[in-house]
Amino acid sequence: MAADVTIEWGHIFRLRVLDVGLACCAVEFAAAAARGDDMAAVAARPFAPEPREANVMVISGTVTDKLAPHVKRLYDEMPPDSYVMSFGSCANCGGPYWDSYSVTKGVDQMIPVDIYVPGCPPRPEALLAGLAQLNERIG
Amino acid sequence: MASDDFAATRDVPSDGWFGAASELKDSGYDFFDWLSAYDDSDAGLAVVTRVWSVGDRRGVMLRTRVARDGGSLPTLTSLWGGAAWHERETAEMFGIYFVDHPDPRPLLLPDGFDGHPLRKEFVLASRVAKEWPGAKEPGESVAGRKRPPGVPAAGAWGP
Repeated sequence: MAADVTIEWGHIFRLRVLDVGLACCAVEFAAAAARGDDMAAVAARPFAPEPREANVMVISGTVTDKLAPHVKRLYDEMPPDSYVMSFGSCANCGGPYWDSYSVTKGVDQMIPVDIYVPGCPPRPEALLAGLAQLNERIG
Repeated sequence: MASDDFAATRDVPSDGWFGAASELKDSGYDFFDWLSAYDDSDAGLAVVTRVWSVGDRRGVMLRTRVARDGGSLPTLTSLWGGAAWHERETAEMFGIYFVDHPDPRPLLLPDGFDGHPLRKEFVLASRVAKEWPGAKEPGESVAGRKRPPGVPAAGAWGP
Protein backbone atom coordinates (compact mmCIF):
# COMPACT_ATOMS: atom_id res chain seq x y z
CA MET A 1 0.00 0.00 0.00
CA ALA A 2 1.43 3.32 -1.05
CA ALA A 3 2.26 5.77 1.67
CA ASP A 4 -0.14 8.45 0.40
CA VAL A 5 -3.02 5.99 0.40
CA THR A 6 -2.19 4.96 3.94
CA ILE A 7 -2.07 8.57 5.07
CA GLU A 8 -5.33 9.25 3.29
CA TRP A 9 -6.92 6.27 4.99
CA GLY A 10 -5.76 7.57 8.34
CA HIS A 11 -7.53 10.83 7.63
CA ILE A 12 -10.82 9.41 6.46
CA PHE A 13 -12.52 9.95 9.78
CA ARG A 14 -10.75 13.05 10.69
CA LEU A 15 -13.76 14.64 12.39
CA ARG A 16 -14.50 12.62 15.48
CA VAL A 17 -17.75 14.13 16.63
CA LEU A 18 -18.84 14.43 20.23
CA ASP A 19 -22.61 14.83 20.14
CA VAL A 20 -23.86 17.08 22.92
CA GLY A 21 -27.53 16.48 22.23
CA LEU A 22 -29.60 18.59 24.59
CA ALA A 23 -32.98 19.03 22.92
CA CYS A 24 -34.95 18.35 19.74
CA CYS A 25 -32.03 19.34 17.46
CA ALA A 26 -30.37 16.15 18.69
CA VAL A 27 -33.02 14.22 16.74
CA GLU A 28 -31.84 15.89 13.55
CA PHE A 29 -28.28 15.08 14.50
CA ALA A 30 -29.28 11.44 14.98
CA ALA A 31 -31.08 11.44 11.63
CA ALA A 32 -27.89 12.59 9.94
CA ALA A 33 -25.67 10.28 11.94
CA ALA A 34 -27.84 7.29 11.04
CA ARG A 35 -26.71 7.75 7.43
CA GLY A 36 -23.21 6.48 7.98
CA ASP A 37 -22.26 6.95 4.32
CA ASP A 38 -23.24 10.59 4.40
CA MET A 39 -21.19 11.18 7.52
CA ALA A 40 -18.24 9.36 5.97
CA ALA A 41 -18.58 11.56 2.89
CA VAL A 42 -17.75 14.56 5.04
CA ALA A 43 -15.04 12.57 6.85
CA ALA A 44 -16.94 12.52 10.11
CA ARG A 45 -17.58 9.80 12.59
CA PRO A 46 -20.37 10.54 15.08
CA PHE A 47 -20.83 9.55 18.71
CA ALA A 48 -17.33 9.74 20.14
CA PRO A 49 -17.40 7.70 23.33
CA GLU A 50 -15.79 10.40 25.44
CA PRO A 51 -14.60 13.98 25.05
CA ARG A 52 -10.89 13.21 24.83
CA GLU A 53 -11.46 10.93 21.84
CA ALA A 54 -13.27 13.66 19.92
CA ASN A 55 -12.05 16.68 18.01
CA VAL A 56 -15.39 18.26 17.11
CA MET A 57 -18.14 19.05 19.54
CA VAL A 58 -21.61 19.50 18.10
CA ILE A 59 -23.93 21.20 20.55
CA SER A 60 -27.44 20.42 19.34
CA GLY A 61 -30.11 21.82 21.61
CA THR A 62 -30.98 24.24 24.34
CA VAL A 63 -28.30 25.10 26.86
CA THR A 64 -29.59 26.31 30.20
CA ASP A 65 -27.61 28.30 32.73
CA LYS A 66 -27.65 25.31 35.04
CA LEU A 67 -26.35 22.98 32.36
CA ALA A 68 -23.81 25.40 30.90
CA PRO A 69 -20.94 24.55 33.30
CA HIS A 70 -21.24 20.89 32.32
CA VAL A 71 -21.01 21.73 28.61
CA LYS A 72 -17.96 23.82 29.40
CA ARG A 73 -16.45 20.89 31.25
CA LEU A 74 -16.93 18.61 28.22
CA TYR A 75 -15.18 21.24 26.09
CA ASP A 76 -12.31 21.45 28.55
CA GLU A 77 -11.88 17.67 28.46
CA MET A 78 -11.46 17.65 24.69
CA PRO A 79 -8.00 17.93 23.12
CA PRO A 80 -6.83 21.56 23.00
CA ASP A 81 -7.11 22.00 19.21
CA SER A 82 -10.74 20.88 18.99
CA TYR A 83 -13.56 22.51 17.07
CA VAL A 84 -17.04 23.49 18.18
CA MET A 85 -20.19 23.52 16.07
CA SER A 86 -23.27 25.26 17.39
CA PHE A 87 -26.18 23.43 15.79
CA GLY A 88 -29.59 25.12 15.74
CA SER A 89 -31.10 28.34 16.99
CA CYS A 90 -31.00 27.51 20.70
CA ALA A 91 -27.29 26.80 20.79
CA ASN A 92 -26.67 29.80 18.53
CA CYS A 93 -28.54 32.46 20.46
CA GLY A 94 -31.17 30.97 22.77
CA GLY A 95 -33.60 30.48 19.89
CA PRO A 96 -37.30 30.68 20.79
CA TYR A 97 -36.26 30.81 24.44
CA TRP A 98 -34.26 34.02 24.00
CA ASP A 99 -36.28 35.74 26.73
CA SER A 100 -36.30 32.88 29.23
CA TYR A 101 -34.95 33.27 32.74
CA SER A 102 -33.00 30.03 32.47
CA VAL A 103 -31.72 29.63 28.91
CA THR A 104 -28.17 30.60 27.97
CA LYS A 105 -28.31 33.08 25.10
CA GLY A 106 -25.91 31.23 22.89
CA VAL A 107 -23.27 28.67 23.73
CA ASP A 108 -20.62 31.07 22.38
CA GLN A 109 -20.96 33.00 25.62
CA MET A 110 -18.77 30.43 27.31
CA ILE A 111 -16.87 28.48 24.64
CA PRO A 112 -15.48 29.57 21.26
CA VAL A 113 -17.64 28.40 18.35
CA ASP A 114 -16.07 27.65 14.97
CA ILE A 115 -19.21 27.16 12.93
CA TYR A 116 -22.87 28.02 13.39
CA VAL A 117 -25.67 26.07 11.72
CA PRO A 118 -28.93 28.06 11.68
CA GLY A 119 -32.39 26.52 11.82
CA CYS A 120 -35.07 25.50 14.26
CA PRO A 121 -34.22 22.74 13.87
CA PRO A 122 -31.75 22.59 10.97
CA ARG A 123 -32.30 19.70 8.59
CA PRO A 124 -29.89 16.75 8.76
CA GLU A 125 -28.37 17.96 5.47
CA ALA A 126 -27.46 21.19 7.23
CA LEU A 127 -25.34 19.27 9.70
CA LEU A 128 -23.54 17.56 6.85
CA ALA A 129 -23.04 20.90 5.09
CA GLY A 130 -21.67 22.37 8.30
CA LEU A 131 -19.24 19.49 8.77
CA ALA A 132 -18.18 19.80 5.13
CA GLN A 133 -17.50 23.50 5.62
CA LEU A 134 -15.54 22.75 8.75
CA ASN A 135 -13.49 20.25 6.78
CA GLU A 136 -12.74 22.84 4.12
CA ARG A 137 -11.67 25.31 6.75
CA ILE A 138 -9.36 22.79 8.39
CA GLY A 139 -7.90 22.28 4.93
CA MET B 1 -66.41 14.18 49.18
CA ALA B 2 -65.49 11.73 46.47
CA SER B 3 -66.73 12.93 43.15
CA ASP B 4 -67.20 11.26 39.82
CA ASP B 5 -66.25 14.47 38.10
CA PHE B 6 -62.91 13.86 36.43
CA ALA B 7 -61.74 17.41 37.12
CA ALA B 8 -63.23 17.84 40.58
CA THR B 9 -61.50 20.61 42.51
CA ARG B 10 -61.74 21.16 46.19
CA ASP B 11 -60.76 24.52 47.72
CA VAL B 12 -59.44 24.56 51.25
CA PRO B 13 -57.92 27.28 53.46
CA SER B 14 -54.16 27.01 53.82
CA ASP B 15 -54.37 25.87 57.44
CA GLY B 16 -56.55 22.97 56.30
CA TRP B 17 -54.15 21.95 53.51
CA PHE B 18 -52.49 19.02 55.21
CA GLY B 19 -55.72 17.83 56.86
CA ALA B 20 -57.60 17.80 53.56
CA ALA B 21 -54.72 16.02 51.82
CA SER B 22 -54.49 13.49 54.60
CA GLU B 23 -58.22 12.86 54.31
CA LEU B 24 -57.85 12.26 50.58
CA LYS B 25 -55.03 9.82 51.20
CA ASP B 26 -57.15 7.92 53.72
CA SER B 27 -60.10 7.79 51.34
CA GLY B 28 -58.13 5.94 48.68
CA TYR B 29 -56.26 8.60 46.74
CA ASP B 30 -53.03 6.68 46.92
CA PHE B 31 -51.21 8.03 43.87
CA PHE B 32 -49.64 11.50 43.79
CA ASP B 33 -50.01 13.05 40.34
CA TRP B 34 -48.59 16.58 40.55
CA LEU B 35 -48.34 19.75 42.61
CA SER B 36 -47.77 23.24 41.32
CA ALA B 37 -48.89 26.82 41.79
CA TYR B 38 -50.03 29.86 39.85
CA ASP B 39 -49.80 33.55 40.45
CA ASP B 40 -53.31 34.87 41.06
CA SER B 41 -52.17 38.50 41.39
CA ASP B 42 -53.92 40.27 44.27
CA ALA B 43 -55.58 37.06 45.46
CA GLY B 44 -52.14 35.65 46.31
CA LEU B 45 -50.52 32.48 45.11
CA ALA B 46 -52.72 29.47 44.45
CA VAL B 47 -51.23 26.05 45.11
CA VAL B 48 -52.86 23.10 43.39
CA THR B 49 -52.21 19.42 43.71
CA ARG B 50 -53.83 16.49 42.00
CA VAL B 51 -53.99 13.03 43.42
CA TRP B 52 -55.36 9.88 41.91
CA SER B 53 -57.07 6.80 43.18
CA VAL B 54 -55.63 3.83 41.35
CA GLY B 55 -58.38 1.47 42.50
CA ASP B 56 -61.29 3.76 41.64
CA ARG B 57 -59.61 5.29 38.58
CA ARG B 58 -60.57 8.75 39.80
CA GLY B 59 -58.65 11.92 40.47
CA VAL B 60 -59.27 15.02 42.51
CA MET B 61 -57.58 18.40 42.69
CA LEU B 62 -56.97 20.22 45.91
CA ARG B 63 -56.39 23.97 45.87
CA THR B 64 -55.45 26.54 48.45
CA ARG B 65 -54.10 30.09 48.50
CA VAL B 66 -51.12 31.49 50.34
CA ALA B 67 -49.87 35.02 50.84
CA ARG B 68 -47.52 36.51 48.24
CA ASP B 69 -44.98 37.40 50.91
CA GLY B 70 -43.81 34.70 53.25
CA GLY B 71 -46.45 32.20 52.18
CA SER B 72 -45.93 28.75 53.58
CA LEU B 73 -47.61 25.37 53.60
CA PRO B 74 -46.90 22.10 55.36
CA THR B 75 -45.21 19.57 53.13
CA LEU B 76 -47.20 16.62 51.79
CA THR B 77 -44.14 14.39 51.50
CA SER B 78 -45.14 12.37 54.55
CA LEU B 79 -48.34 11.38 52.68
CA TRP B 80 -46.94 10.97 49.17
CA GLY B 81 -43.18 10.80 48.72
CA GLY B 82 -43.61 11.91 45.10
CA ALA B 83 -44.56 15.39 46.28
CA ALA B 84 -40.95 16.14 47.23
CA TRP B 85 -39.66 17.21 43.81
CA HIS B 86 -42.87 19.09 42.97
CA GLU B 87 -42.69 21.04 46.20
CA ARG B 88 -39.05 21.89 45.63
CA GLU B 89 -39.86 23.23 42.18
CA THR B 90 -42.89 25.15 43.42
CA ALA B 91 -40.84 26.62 46.26
CA GLU B 92 -38.14 28.04 43.99
CA MET B 93 -40.46 29.14 41.19
CA PHE B 94 -42.99 30.94 43.38
CA GLY B 95 -41.25 31.63 46.69
CA ILE B 96 -43.49 29.43 48.80
CA TYR B 97 -41.93 27.79 51.82
CA PHE B 98 -42.85 24.15 52.48
CA VAL B 99 -42.51 23.56 56.20
CA ASP B 100 -40.67 20.38 57.25
CA HIS B 101 -39.70 19.46 53.69
CA PRO B 102 -37.03 16.73 53.98
CA ASP B 103 -34.80 18.23 51.26
CA PRO B 104 -35.62 21.90 50.60
CA ARG B 105 -32.81 22.61 48.11
CA PRO B 106 -33.68 24.30 44.80
CA LEU B 107 -34.44 21.70 42.13
CA LEU B 108 -34.02 23.31 38.72
CA LEU B 109 -32.62 26.81 39.10
CA PRO B 110 -28.86 27.32 39.13
CA ASP B 111 -27.14 28.16 42.39
CA GLY B 112 -27.45 31.76 43.40
CA PHE B 113 -30.48 32.48 41.20
CA ASP B 114 -32.21 35.62 42.38
CA GLY B 115 -36.00 35.78 42.37
CA HIS B 116 -38.93 33.50 41.65
CA PRO B 117 -39.34 33.35 37.88
CA LEU B 118 -42.94 32.11 37.62
CA ARG B 119 -44.30 35.04 39.59
CA LYS B 120 -45.90 37.72 37.47
CA GLU B 121 -43.72 40.47 38.86
CA PHE B 122 -40.55 38.66 37.76
CA VAL B 123 -38.93 40.81 35.11
CA LEU B 124 -37.75 39.11 31.93
CA ALA B 125 -34.70 41.27 31.34
CA SER B 126 -34.32 40.15 27.73
CA ARG B 127 -37.77 41.55 26.91
CA VAL B 128 -36.86 44.87 28.45
CA ALA B 129 -33.79 45.09 26.22
CA LYS B 130 -35.56 43.84 23.09
CA GLU B 131 -39.25 44.00 22.36
CA TRP B 132 -41.11 40.71 22.30
CA PRO B 133 -41.61 40.01 18.59
CA GLY B 134 -44.66 37.80 18.95
CA ALA B 135 -48.38 38.47 18.77
CA LYS B 136 -51.28 36.78 20.52
CA GLU B 137 -53.53 36.92 17.45
CA PRO B 138 -52.71 36.59 13.75
CA GLY B 139 -52.37 40.01 12.17
CA GLU B 140 -52.06 41.78 15.48
CA SER B 141 -50.03 44.90 14.96
CA VAL B 142 -46.86 45.40 16.88
CA ALA B 143 -47.43 49.15 17.18
CA GLY B 144 -50.78 49.03 18.93
CA ARG B 145 -49.87 46.25 21.29
CA LYS B 146 -49.84 46.48 25.04
CA ARG B 147 -46.73 45.63 26.98
CA PRO B 148 -45.87 41.94 26.69
CA PRO B 149 -46.14 39.79 29.81
CA GLY B 150 -43.12 40.09 32.04
CA VAL B 151 -42.27 43.67 31.14
CA PRO B 152 -42.97 46.45 33.64
CA ALA B 153 -44.20 49.90 32.68
CA ALA B 154 -41.61 52.31 31.38
CA GLY B 155 -39.57 53.73 34.23
CA ALA B 156 -40.83 51.15 36.72
CA TRP B 157 -37.72 49.02 36.45
CA GLY B 158 -34.11 49.37 35.52
CA PRO B 159 -31.95 52.40 34.80
